[in-house]
This record gives sequence, C-alpha cells and structure tokens, in this order.
Amino acid sequence: MTSSVQEVRSPEIDDGRSTADVPVTPDERLVGRWHAGVWLVWALAAAACVELAPSPVYVALVIGIAGLAVSLHARPGPYAKAFPILVGVGVFFAVARTALTALTTHGIGHTMFTVPQFTLPRLLGGFTVGGAIELHVVLQSLVEGFAIVGVMAAFGAFNSVVSHSELIQSTPRAFYEVGLVVVVALAFVPSTLNAIADVRESDRARTGGRVVRRGRLLRQVLPVLELGLERAVTLAESMDARGFARAGAGSRDHAAGWCGVVSLLSLGGAFIALVGDRRGVAAVLGLAGAVGLLSAVLLTSSGTARVRYRPRRMTAFDWTMAAIVSAAPIALAVCSLGGDGSLVWFAERTLQWPALHVGPALSLLPLLAPIVLPRGTAS
Amino acid sequence: MSAISYHAVSFAYPDAPQQALDDVTLGVEAGELLLVVGASGSGKSTLLRGANGLVPHASGGRFSGEVVVFGRSTVTHHPRELADVVGFVAQDPEAQFVVDHVERDLAFVLENLGFSAAAMRRRVEETLDALGIAHLRDRDPATLSGGERQRCAIAGALAASPSALVLDEPTSQLDPQGADDVLAALTRLNADLGTTVVLAEHRLDRAAPLADRVVVVDGATVGEPGLPGTILASYAGAPSVTRLGELLGWAPPPLTVRDARAWVARVPVDLPFPEPSGTAARPAPGEVLARASNVRVDLGGRAVVRDTSLTVHAGDVIALLGRNGAGKTTLLRALAGLQPVAKGTVDAGTGVAYVPQNPNTLLFSPTVRRELEETLRLLGRSDPDAVDHWLDALGITALADRYPRSLSGGERQRVAVGAVAVGGAPVLLLDEPTRGMDAPSRTALEHAMRAHAEGGGAVVLATHDVELAARSATRAVVLGDGEVVAAGPAREVLAGSLFAPQVLRVLPPYLTVEEVATTMARR
Repeated sequence: MTSSVQEVRSPEIDDGRSTADVPVTPDERLVGRWHAGVWLVWALAAAACVELAPSPVYVALVIGIAGLAVSLHARPGPYAKAFPILVGVGVFFAVARTALTALTTHGIGHTMFTVPQFTLPRLLGGFTVGGAIELHVVLQSLVEGFAIVGVMAAFGAFNSVVSHSELIQSTPRAFYEVGLVVVVALAFVPSTLNAIADVRESDRARTGGRVVRRGRLLRQVLPVLELGLERAVTLAESMDARGFARAGAGSRDHAAGWCGVVSLLSLGGAFIALVGDRRGVAAVLGLAGAVGLLSAVLLTSSGTARVRYRPRRMTAFDWTMAAIVSAAPIALAVCSLGGDGSLVWFAERTLQWPALHVGPALSLLPLLAPIVLPRGTAS
Repeated sequence: MSAISYHAVSFAYPDAPQQALDDVTLGVEAGELLLVVGASGSGKSTLLRGANGLVPHASGGRFSGEVVVFGRSTVTHHPRELADVVGFVAQDPEAQFVVDHVERDLAFVLENLGFSAAAMRRRVEETLDALGIAHLRDRDPATLSGGERQRCAIAGALAASPSALVLDEPTSQLDPQGADDVLAALTRLNADLGTTVVLAEHRLDRAAPLADRVVVVDGATVGEPGLPGTILASYAGAPSVTRLGELLGWAPPPLTVRDARAWVARVPVDLPFPEPSGTAARPAPGEVLARASNVRVDLGGRAVVRDTSLTVHAGDVIALLGRNGAGKTTLLRALAGLQPVAKGTVDAGTGVAYVPQNPNTLLFSPTVRRELEETLRLLGRSDPDAVDHWLDALGITALADRYPRSLSGGERQRVAVGAVAVGGAPVLLLDEPTRGMDAPSRTALEHAMRAHAEGGGAVVLATHDVELAARSATRAVVLGDGEVVAAGPAREVLAGSLFAPQVLRVLPPYLTVEEVATTMARR
C-alpha cells in the first residue's frame, strides 16, 4: 500500500523544498482570539464551578457569564445556535426530571395540590405515580435541574465561541480521525434542522395548507433521512477524491491497534475480576489495560507525521489565561473546604432564600477573564 | 497522449438491470475544456465519476475496460491515490466541505497528500487568488451563497494543482449570477493554468461558448466529440441562438448572441412582423382565480415584499422574474398561505397549490403513482382519473412504477409538480421549477403548464430563466428589492429588458425559435 502511494506521487509535491526556508508563521489573524484550548479549559472550569456551587444564585452567575461569552464572542455560522439549543435541551431535561420526581416522591414536605394517582404493574416496579405534589420536592428538583442547565450553558457557550477546525488541529494525532468524525457529524445538525423545516413546509404545501396529522411522521422522517444519506455519500466521495486516508495505515498504526485490543481485553478482565472480588488480579489487569491504552495513543501520535496547515499552538499567553480560568473552581473548592454554607441550597422544612456570599461570588470572577480581555491587549 | 482516456468501458450499478455505460471509448486531450451534455440519467455522472475512480471504487457494480488518467489506471488506483492529478467537484455545493473554515478546507487535500508546511501555505494563497475567493478565507462555508460555496469547493479540489478538474453539473443548484461566477473561474483556470477541464452542464447558453469540444452522452453510450457548434446544432438542449442558426441554415450555427448578430448583418433575414402565437395570443383575461393586494411580508425585521399586488386570472402563465432575494419565493409563499403577511390581503380563491423548490423534500412514496395518490388520500378523496391525467400531462406515465428518489433531478421535479397539482387547485405556484432540469424534462413541464392554463387554470412561476418565460409566460412580473418594477404582457416586459431572451436580441421582435419557425412555415 505504502509503496504504491510513493509511486503515484507527482514530483510537484516536493516543490515545498524551494520554499522550505520560509518560516511558517502562525495564523496572525487569529491572534485576537484565545486558543480553542483556552475555551476548552474555560468550559471545563465553568462546569466544575456549577458542580462545586450548585446553589441557584451561583449557577445563575455562571449562566450569565456564559451568555456574555456568547454575545461577545460567538462565531458566525450554524454553531452560534449551539448555546440556545443546548440550554433548551438542559431546560427540557430539568423540567422532565422535576415532573417525574414530583410524581413519584412523597412524604417530605408541604402538599401544593393533588393529582390522580395510580400504581404501576409489578413488572414495571410496582410503585405509585401521582398523588400529592409537594412544594419541597418540586423546589429541590428544580434547583438540581437548574445546575444541569448551568453545565449545558457552559458547553453551549464553548461550542458557539470556539473554532472547531482549530480544535481538531490541536488534538493529538491519535485523536485526529475521531475529532474529524465528530466535527463532520456536528455539521450535519444544522443541515438536518433546515431539512426538517423544508420537509414540514412541503408537507403543508402538498395539501394546500391543510395539516393532516395521520401518517405525518413517516411522510416527514423519510425525506429527512434520505436527504441526510445523500449528503453523507457526497461528503464521503468528496473526502475520498481529496486524498483522505491516502497514506493508509502504517506499521505503528497496526501496532497501536493491537495495543488497543490488548488494553480492552485487560480492562474487561479487570472488571470481571472486580466482580469476582479478586482485587489483586483486577489491579494488575487494570494497570496493563491503562499501559496498553497509553501506548496505543503514543504509537499513533508518533506514527504518521501528518503535517498540519498553519497549526496554532498554545502560547505562554494562552497558558496563562488557562491557568487564570482554572483558578475559579480551585477558589470555590477552597470555599467549600472552608465550610461555606451558601454553596449548596437545600429545600429545608423552613424554606429560605439561597444566600449569596462574597467569597464564592468573587471566585467566579476568573471565568470572565477570557471574555473581557481580548487576546490582543493581553499580548 | 490523452490526459484521460476511456478504453471500452462498460459499467452497471449494483442490482441495476441495464448498463450505465456501454462500451465507452473516449479521449480527453490535455489542456482542453470538454463539455459533456446529455439528458439526466443518460450516464453523464457515471462517465465523470469514472475519471477519478469513484466509479467503480465508491459505487461498487460491474466494471470492465479501463480508464487511464495521466498514466495511472483507475482499476488499480483508488480516488484518493488520484487526488494529486484529478480534482472532482459534485453538484451539491453544500455537502463537499470537511472543515468549517474555507482556508483550512482548502488545505485538507494538501495535508492528505503530505505537502510540507511552507508548500501548503504558498499553495493555499495561490488557490485563493486563482478562484478570487481570498476575501472569503475566514468564513464558514455554511454562511456563503451558493455560487461562493461552489467556487470554494472547486478551490478545495484545485489546491493540489491537479492536471485535470472534473465537474459534475457544478452550476445546476445555483442562480445565474453564481453560475456565471463559477464558469468564469473555470475558464480562467483552463486558459491561465492549462488545467484540463471536463464539465457536465445543462446551462448551455453560458457553457457552450467556453468549450473546446462537446460530447453527447445518450443511453449509456458516448458520441464522437466535436466542435460545439457542430455537435449542438442537432441537440435538444442547445442555446436558443444555436437552434435559430440551425433553423435559418447558418453553418456553423452560432453559440453566442454576438455571433448570431454577425450572421444577421451578413445574411439579412427577411421575416414579417410575427403573428401572435401560442399562449401569447390569449385574448381578454378570464375570471380572477387568486389575488394578492398591497402585500407586505417581513422576514427577520426586514420587508422582503413591499406593497406588491398580483392578480391571477384563469388562463394566465405568470413569470416572476428578478435576482436572488428580490422576493419571488416569498411572494409565492404568501400567495400559498405558507407565509403570514404583515399588511395587505391574500385571496386564494378556490385554491392554490405550491410546489417547493427542492422536490426531495416532498417525495417519500415507493412509486410515482403512489406519490400522486398520497396527496388525494391526504385530502380524503380518490380520483384515479386525476392521477392518470397528471402522469400523462407531465410525461411521467412510463415512470409510474419507479421509485421517485431513484429518478433524475428533472424527473423528480415533475413528480413533485404532479404530487401537488393532482390535488386539483386551479392555481399552481412553481418555485424555480426548471433549475437543474435537462431539456426533455423542461419541455414536458412547459407543455403541462400551458395545458393547465388553457384548461381554465393558472400558473405562477418564479424563475431566473428568461428563455422559459419567453416560451411559456403570458404575463411577466419583474420584482426588484421586494417591489414590482415591471409588469405586463410577457412580450412587452421582456422586450424592454437588458436581459431579454437571446432570439429577441438577434431578431426582434421575435421572442422564441418556435415563433420564427411558425412564421417561416406560413410563408
């Protein structure tokens, strides 16, 4: 495989030699923007803050900061919609979770109202659904759901401000293909949403505006699926025609594949050993699995030297900003260890407003740094 | 030596009973621009896909013979191993981008081919300039217009500076401006860089004058390539001036209005003032079937249609003309009741039906006949006569048992028209019905539209195609920036336009080749 590829290369490909002494500068136009890695650290830090301080006031602050990041730094294009979509998904889960909890948890607090109740068949667990809907259960569940919205907001903001192509450019070689697959798959989301809107309109147009509900799902799902399939085939052909995977798998890739298989088997064995309460064996197998996994990543990363176009590395400024951002969850952890009671809110018997303390609120300030400090002025 | 040569190539898709290519032998000369024409489904795409090995490597199927591309056989080389000699561009500009950044998407092929960092940097800059897209380098392809996107897709195929570019109907999804930009870019590449270009096209008005040679694909076989004028003279989808030249005995027939005018100057054509013919001769308008009065439509806080009125009479075929974004589609959707109006009134009379631009959003049934019956079922009726009538009117009776999505673009569009029209609404609203359509499909659709209007119905079509308007429309309405800038009988509106149909610019006041032919036959 490799030899045939060598043969077919035209001499033109090596004309890079004539310009090899020209220094390849990083993408200067991007200097005003923080590196995608900084935003990744930012999103992880924001999510960690929500986990450490799930009280609604702090979660609201994190969501506000995420919203600010989107309004100031969202990139044009379909990903700009990631923030509202992911927040919407979070709200949906929070509400659904609250409804389920309220219908199935009883005997804790003040009854707000009662709904009809029935008992599920024993096959489905045999518990009672409905009955008294209690204020404390609803509040507690809503507050926990709000924390889910907070995490979704952090990742929604990340997706709308970051350049996904820059993100795959910076992944280790071993994850390049995986990253590419994810980016390509994400690109199908907006086009699928457009297709759904078009198909719905066509369905209405067909009957002169009359809405016929029966069989509508089939009428609408089939064209959407087929449009997606046709698009996927075109994309695959375009990638093939542009030389994707031309180099083929090298010997190191094969070795890495075997390392991956060995590590999977070892980790599986470790799990079985744990179930069988053989801790010693489990530890050895687990270690072997971890080593196998690490060597697979290292082998692939060193295998094919894929020269990347204008790669952008994390500079000292980027690393500094990442460190500043990481200070937020660390400071919150310190507050938590110091016994700050405002971090978590519980629906206690006598309900109290969630408190806002200065320490935890100030701890969230570092999350604002990459938003309000453009990289240009920092450097 | 030919750049790309097909030696006795035969091919059939998996599970397909008949051959898609039948014993094809063809040589593409290095540095030429070869135009491939033929009806949809004739084997054009298969022929082009064979040039870089997508057929048979990506498609599967039974392949015999050999395609040799710059000395490499596609039998032994995969498309990815030919990426440095052949660039391939598909019809749909949307689905060809791998990376969400124009500049990095250009570099995708270079990274795959193992270019050095410095060579990549230089090559990307040169490619951006070669296609005039340097100002788009930082954009996400999803935010570009169709023409811009297709030029970026061509750049993505061109970045490795392949010796040949193969393009499968690259302009069929584009408006005329986008198509002109793409074709101009191709001509420049061919002339300046000597890139061999193999181009499949339906829009021959623009593409034919650019070609060095033309080859016709018909029924899985490929004819002998020849000069554009000679080959196109007898081809159904030829530009109007070429068909006019053929009719008047000009040899070789002209490909452009300029050539045709030169012929008229040399050989004066003596024809009387044309008799009104066809639908253009229709006398007083019939009853009012639908009406929009002083309509304003706001989209995203902007008035897309302003103070626009349109009255549709029985017997009308109204062509809505105007550039992209002029409000044509929005006005149609408002008439169809799919778009709420901010001001004014829409009276749909006894019924209007709207056929969307993309037929793929509509079709889902297992057969064409079932697709038409489905609409009636949704309306709670059963009317086999209506189904047969529309299958026949649109010339798709022979396709009645085929799967709609396996049909060619033009055939699918006709099925979509049938699926909407069978509901029985007297007014049909068609949005860009002939985009990407081949000549036979276009002719069949034009017949069906005229027959519908003559039978007491009416058709309103949004289109960029002035030739279509000249052949079919009784009235023309030109929209600009959401307002009506010209309206009236088609002949008057088109005659006063800078973008008049070709025949009108050569032999005024004749609009179409058919009119000239009728007048000549009478003498």
